[in-house]
Amino acid sequence: MPPRIRSSPGLLLNRAETSVLLHNAQPSPAAGRPWAAAATTSSSSSSSHYSPQCVSLLPQHHQQTSSFSTTASRDLSRNRTKFWAFLKKEGRDFKNAPGEPKYLGDLKGSKEKRHAPFPNNPTYKSEPVLSDVARETIWREIMKQGMPLKAVSAKYSVDMRRVAAVVRMKEIERQWEADHKPKALPYAKAITSMVPQHSLSEREQPFEPVNDVHVHSYTQQQLFWPASESREFTRKDAAEAFGEHILPPDEKMRIPELMQLEKDINAGVEKHEAYKSFLDATRESELQIANRERTRLMKEEANKTRVDSGRFEFRFERFNADNVGKNGRARKAVGWRYGVPFSDRRRAEVKIPTKME
Amino acid sequence: MKYRRIARFHGLNPKRTRIRQTWNKYNLYNIFKQNDPRVVHRTFFQQKWTAKANTRAYHGEHIRERTWQRMFSRRLPSVVAMEPSYMAKHDGSEQAAGRGSGRDMPIGTEEKAIRNGNSTTPTPFMQMTYAPMERRLDIAVFRALFASSARQARQFCVHGAVTVNGMKMRYPGYLLNPGDLFQVNVERVLTATGCKKETTKNKTKKNSAAAAEDAEDAAEEVDGEEAKSSEETPKAEVQLDEAAEKDRQLAVLRRCRKRAKYISQTPSADLSAKQKKALRSLIKEVESTASIIARRGGDAKQTGDVVDKMTALMDKLDLKPALLEPEAKEKKEQEAKDAIEAKDLALEEERILKELIEQERENPIDSSKPYYTPWKPRPYMAPFAFIPRYLEVNPNICAAVYLRHPVARQGRAEVPTPFSPGLNQLAFNWYLRRG
Repeated sequence: MPPRIRSSPGLLLNRAETSVLLHNAQPSPAAGRPWAAAATTSSSSSSSHYSPQCVSLLPQHHQQTSSFSTTASRDLSRNRTKFWAFLKKEGRDFKNAPGEPKYLGDLKGSKEKRHAPFPNNPTYKSEPVLSDVARETIWREIMKQGMPLKAVSAKYSVDMRRVAAVVRMKEIERQWEADHKPKALPYAKAITSMVPQHSLSEREQPFEPVNDVHVHSYTQQQLFWPASESREFTRKDAAEAFGEHILPPDEKMRIPELMQLEKDINAGVEKHEAYKSFLDATRESELQIANRERTRLMKEEANKTRVDSGRFEFRFERFNADNVGKNGRARKAVGWRYGVPFSDRRRAEVKIPTKME
Repeated sequence: MKYRRIARFHGLNPKRTRIRQTWNKYNLYNIFKQNDPRVVHRTFFQQKWTAKANTRAYHGEHIRERTWQRMFSRRLPSVVAMEPSYMAKHDGSEQAAGRGSGRDMPIGTEEKAIRNGNSTTPTPFMQMTYAPMERRLDIAVFRALFASSARQARQFCVHGAVTVNGMKMRYPGYLLNPGDLFQVNVERVLTATGCKKETTKNKTKKNSAAAAEDAEDAAEEVDGEEAKSSEETPKAEVQLDEAAEKDRQLAVLRRCRKRAKYISQTPSADLSAKQKKALRSLIKEVESTASIIARRGGDAKQTGDVVDKMTALMDKLDLKPALLEPEAKEKKEQEAKDAIEAKDLALEEERILKELIEQERENPIDSSKPYYTPWKPRPYMAPFAFIPRYLEVNPNICAAVYLRHPVARQGRAEVPTPFSPGLNQLAFNWYLRRG
């Protein structure tokens, strides 16, 4: 909601109230004057002291005027006139759903569609989203055919995190269907018609780059690093030059198996053979992650004692009370410590959770 | 009063125009005629001030300045897309060859840049000034197209209509973590993005303006209600035995077809107010019986009762004299005769009818809803409908996943901002707080 308008007390009286006040102060002789009734367009509390000259002007203006006013108001301000002209001309196509993506940037620009919602910002484009069919395809490959996430991501050139999100939401959608929970189908249909869609077919441009490497702030400054001309100065050397803990892009890639695949193909391995070993490698890496997660959970569970009282389940966790950090005020420290106020007594403590799990 | 508030919020006056995070038509106009503020004969401070004021009016206008200052980060996140095929071929030493910046290539060839795996497009870092804002839950809800303004999205959070990872999250200032799934109540989304419901006020206005159009609308409404009544029946049928179900469904289909034909042949303006009223009361009865089924679901006897009741209702609907014009009744009788003669339904018609019923089930006419039914998108929504890449949205269930923080890449910045890079740079400089 827009903010409320602060108005001065003088402005608090609206038109109706003012007319009522005037009415009370001066009993209306309007009954005896036929022009008064003819002049007022809508309000029944007709005016009492119009001059006949002024009244004869009134019907030419469509705006409703105050009953006591003797000057005619302007019909529309210049700005509002321009605004309505825009709505009638350029804005006309935007009013009802046009059935295809249509943005303001396409108005001013050339004939080819730029899909730019903001004419002043050339760096932002409404990029296509995965269509319903594409999401279904991804879900089927992962859940029905058991393909590794990485392989599906590389196959369709869709970010791995996006693949995971698609599957996750599709599962929820299927649960809704099973529960006969009504979906927002008309809304989804409208969105589909307004936002550009990508169906993951080979004729289209690749959906998005899958091997984005985050730019570390250490690498954003220019660095002069003397090296002999004969030296092979590789990506790894460059990373070391920027800092000891800076990783070369080869190690930061999201799907490093893709590089191995390309290397194999360059080395003359048959394409399908190389792809097979790529699939195996991605499957293996996924298994490793799953195992790591399982061991972590098991370790956590081993540290816990669960006591089920029927109504509640109490969980006791081993904790070292001496683990209070350097100054005894570590965030994760437990128990009451001398001189440290409780979190609900501390000033300006932000209570918004930082994660939801 | 409402108009004045909206006009003041968006500002039609060029001197105090503000672009906001809303889908309003005033906002559309303001974006359309937007110009960069003038910089000549103004001090650097003045330029920064104006830039800050303009950009902040769009980016989290409802967030206090101090809160934003705490969120602001001078570190602008960016990524570079690494091509695996290029990386497999080269280890990077070719870029350091020669005097340290790659071997010289003939002047005027773009080949060098391409060979090195880099494009020459600059990365628009300055458009990322307000990137931390996009992490807020309310703004993410607005970006995912679940609310028509950031303030409305905020209200959704505060009113408990938004969940994060399945748990209710009442803080609009919750900062989403990569991988967080947020969901908004479907009804809220439909209300926020749908057309306004017709109130009695609107209707009277409309009546005086375009009576003919209204009559058409009313006729459509009746059509829809008819279809709806037919839509409820199959729901009940599901519960029956398979053998009985087939027969019944056929019967229902036949009846639906008759009614569809009847409606299509009756001039819509001929329906009187009384007839419409009778129709509506019947629909209500059907709805209540359907809800009884839904509540008691599974009980075979009761379902049978309800189905019988409903069948009786349907018969009543077909035969009720008040509903039928004499001519139409004759026509209908003839049709019935034809149908008996033909003894089967035309497949094409059946298919079309099924489609219509399906459409009605998806998007029913329901006066109890807080939005216009059948649902349709609100006016001037299309130019604002875009989904940034850091979100993955499933509009069917009104859910979205915050995949990662927004980033800049060559030629693209993922923060949707209506301002030019120059203006954002001035704003960025303001928040750097240096001189």
